[in-house]
Amino acid sequence: MYKSVSNLVLEETCGSVRIYTLNRTKQLNALSFAMISRLLELFHACDHDPSVKLIIMKGNGRAFCAGGDVAAVVRDISKGDWKLGANYFRKEFTLNYLMATYSKPQVSFLNGIVMGGGAGASIHGRFRIATENSVFAMPETALGLFPDVGASYYLSRLRGFFGEYVGLTGARLDGAEMLACGLATHFVPLHIIDKCFSRKTVEEIISVLESKAVEHKDEWITSTVQTLKKASPTSLKISLRSIREGRLEGVGECLVREYRMVCCVMKGEVSRDFFEGCRALLLDKDKNPNWQPSRLECVTDEMVDRHFSKVDDIDWEDLKLPPRSNLPVHAIAKL
Amino acid sequence: MSSSSTSSTERVAFRAQVLSRHLHPSPSSSSSPCLLEPRACLEYPPSTKAMDTKAMRKRKHRFRHESDGHESIAFDTKAMRKLMDDHNLEDRDWLYGLIIQSNLFNPRDRGGKVFVGPDYNQSKEQQRVMTMKRIEYLAECGVFKGYLTYSSPPSQLRRFALQEVADSFDHSLSIKIGVHFFLWGGALQFFGTKRHHDKWLSDTENYRVKGCFAMTELGHGSNVRGIETITTYDSDTGEFIVNTPCESAQKYWIGGAANHATHTVVFSQLKINGTNQGVHAFIVPIRDADGNVCPNIRIADCGHKIGLNGVDNGRIWFDNVRIPRENLLNSVADVSADGQYLSAIKDPDQRFAAFMAPLTSGRVILASSATYSAKIGLSIAIRYALTRRAFSLTSNGPEVLLLDYPTHQRRLLPLLAKTYAMSFAANHLKKLYVKRTPESIKTIHVVSSAFKPTLTWHNMRTLQECREAVGGQGLKTENRVGHLKSEYDVQSTFEGDNNVLMQQVSKALLGEYVSAKKKNRPFNGLGLEHMNKPCPLIPSQLTSSILRSIQFQMNIFQLRERDLLNRFAAEVAQHQAQGVSREITFTLTYSLAEDLGKAFADLSIMQIFIEAEEAVPAGHLKNVLGLVRSLYAIILLEEDAAFLRYGYLSTDNAAAVRKEVAKLCVELRPHALALVSSFGIPDAFLSPLAFNWIEANAWPSVEN
Repeated sequence: MYKSVSNLVLEETCGSVRIYTLNRTKQLNALSFAMISRLLELFHACDHDPSVKLIIMKGNGRAFCAGGDVAAVVRDISKGDWKLGANYFRKEFTLNYLMATYSKPQVSFLNGIVMGGGAGASIHGRFRIATENSVFAMPETALGLFPDVGASYYLSRLRGFFGEYVGLTGARLDGAEMLACGLATHFVPLHIIDKCFSRKTVEEIISVLESKAVEHKDEWITSTVQTLKKASPTSLKISLRSIREGRLEGVGECLVREYRMVCCVMKGEVSRDFFEGCRALLLDKDKNPNWQPSRLECVTDEMVDRHFSKVDDIDWEDLKLPPRSNLPVHAIAKL
Repeated sequence: MSSSSTSSTERVAFRAQVLSRHLHPSPSSSSSPCLLEPRACLEYPPSTKAMDTKAMRKRKHRFRHESDGHESIAFDTKAMRKLMDDHNLEDRDWLYGLIIQSNLFNPRDRGGKVFVGPDYNQSKEQQRVMTMKRIEYLAECGVFKGYLTYSSPPSQLRRFALQEVADSFDHSLSIKIGVHFFLWGGALQFFGTKRHHDKWLSDTENYRVKGCFAMTELGHGSNVRGIETITTYDSDTGEFIVNTPCESAQKYWIGGAANHATHTVVFSQLKINGTNQGVHAFIVPIRDADGNVCPNIRIADCGHKIGLNGVDNGRIWFDNVRIPRENLLNSVADVSADGQYLSAIKDPDQRFAAFMAPLTSGRVILASSATYSAKIGLSIAIRYALTRRAFSLTSNGPEVLLLDYPTHQRRLLPLLAKTYAMSFAANHLKKLYVKRTPESIKTIHVVSSAFKPTLTWHNMRTLQECREAVGGQGLKTENRVGHLKSEYDVQSTFEGDNNVLMQQVSKALLGEYVSAKKKNRPFNGLGLEHMNKPCPLIPSQLTSSILRSIQFQMNIFQLRERDLLNRFAAEVAQHQAQGVSREITFTLTYSLAEDLGKAFADLSIMQIFIEAEEAVPAGHLKNVLGLVRSLYAIILLEEDAAFLRYGYLSTDNAAAVRKEVAKLCVELRPHALALVSSFGIPDAFLSPLAFNWIEANAWPSVEN
């Protein structure tokens, strides 16, 4: 039933180049735990192998990688232990960190869908090649999650407040837009993004967007407001704070913080929106999640704070990242 | 093509090699016993903090096993930052982000990192334009929302926090904002009544009105009661007439007046029916909506300054300017339509005091602003000292990191400890201020009068030491430490001259003393309660553990304050017994007054530090704070000659103190990076010198 791991990540050697191809086409190359583990092994091995000079990452089919395999994570957690979910993310974030601090260039061919975890597996590397088929998004807020995999690091470093926009709305970018990202896009008036998404709170962002909608009657603005209103209110609040904090942190700190956040989400004590979002969008597919709380003003500061605190559990500990000697000072976002 | 790419690869490889040789010298093989052994410290570059602390802990751990027996404790820098910034962390990070993300704040790439900061190479005119543009941008983003229309303690704290962030970017930015909101806006709020609030507050908040504050004159600064501007009332037209009668009465240093302000609040003597009723405040429009100066007003520029060139300081002359009667800010006193002077407070002294009391907010802001400047200076100097090496101690041995030299530790770490102490003090003062009640006004006045000088002087001293500690690199404006000196120098003068304020502190203490003795009641207030207890005893032999105990530290600071207050009271009484007037007496007793003012400030700060430390749960963080507190206390014992002069310390004890300073420096050395990281100043607000200064100075950076 399952392809063996070696089939899920195809490995080729071509001189001093290693080519890794994600090969889980039916699931749009969504990263399973096994795939992440394998990639981690491969990257570790190449790090110490002087014969390897370059790593190329690709995806078979119409996606580079549509994200982490959250459906599987939810299934695991529903079997009773949130730590299975936490375990998945610990592996994934460690891979992200390894890529962000890698000693050798990683080139990713983003010929197709690049979302969530797929972005995490490519954006942190040195080179990314977008094509006319590229579709990029960080759609987590619609799922009751938040942009993770180090997104609070790379999104927060986009010019102006584009990162807040992309991270909160899950807006899709095409190849040209990705390329231009410091992103002078044609489809969105950038100054409006900055005006709205620079605001202190999600409530203020939406209210400024709404007042702009009255002034401009622009389709983009109305659809942005709708997207934000459809997303999980808790997700929006923690996402905004995550991006804001990430702007002042290094990539390691971002991942450590995101791991706290993701564990809080997996544990499901503050909010169960993630499970509800996965039910509505991935399992039942009724596209009608019932968020709790359902309104932004009901998400208290205390609830948001808990996502950023240590998880209260005897066995739990902060994400331990491997020591890296190659931390680039300018580990700048490279979208 | 291929050859050029090869050569660039080679160049990169070569540079990497040079860099790594410089930063990670091979450990010397000879394990010769040496006082100055290079100690474990962060590896360059100090990149991500989370990793630093972990990597550091790990290395420390290994070190302890292998060689030196030094105890070292890693702590949670985020928790420490919470103690340092104390309030509105999310608001601060939001504003830091607004600044980093906008091109208006002059982002520059240096060695792969982006730094923000004004271009001080611009002319003062250009700098002023930029300051104004930045303010307009921040206003648009909603930073100033509620600055004048919300007044709850949390919203006041939010204002303080945002002011500190603006300040960390550029002193001109925060001063220009401060003049508009805290001086002009504050005058409207506190001296004005409903009619002024309705007319001007919301327009001020969204910058439709740009205000300035015309108090200082060429001939009068701290002595506000001596100003010469004169206002009379014309009951025929119902107008006040504001006049500058002579050149020394011209308003001077008026921030915002030279270019941008549309309105000013003028402080002037009010003469009604031939009687001078003392200083009052009036609103005078000075420019029309198009920026033209109003009739009968002359404005000149104060010219180029040693700092703050982004603020348009100007001079104003009023040539019998007529303003409506309603423009008198009448919370304390009013003039009726027919020209009668009306005030609930009959005594002009009290009236003046009531008038000045609300201006304390400026001193509160300056005190905390000074600590943020010191934090920036120390963050840069200490990070540099952790990456820059100089001289080897053995032939062919590796060069030693600057911070591994005891001299360098002695220069920077006590200043770091003081900056911690003063941050706690500033936080305390802010809270005291926002929770003010009529009963606490006096305490706030005295405490702010002590802290503003102490903290601003500390900042200047810190910046000078940091500038010297980074050597020639400190001379580059973009490295900040040197330049900040000229930006912050003015803090010892404005909002009350430091020396004048310190004299007020000792006068206030004397007042308490005299009234307690006269009424024969115990001391109550201004922290003098310790005087009711028996005089503390100082052990004749000071051991390390005594020196580090809170009990001893409090005792010796209390002893100093108690003794100096007694001496000061006795000296004043002696003069007065000889028939010398009170005023002349104070001019003669300045030496003791100065020592006493310092004693009060140091003891208050010590007390606040101890309270902050006590609120922290037991653990690594508390232990490190304990070291910092001890270094703060003990460095003061070493530096202030008063302890020896009046015999609170014997010469033997003074020697023990000096030894302890050196020991504490060594113990704090491993925490230096964590302690400056805990200041929470984003990398972009420091300078290239704090990070990869080789990359920032490499040839490709020149080419870019």
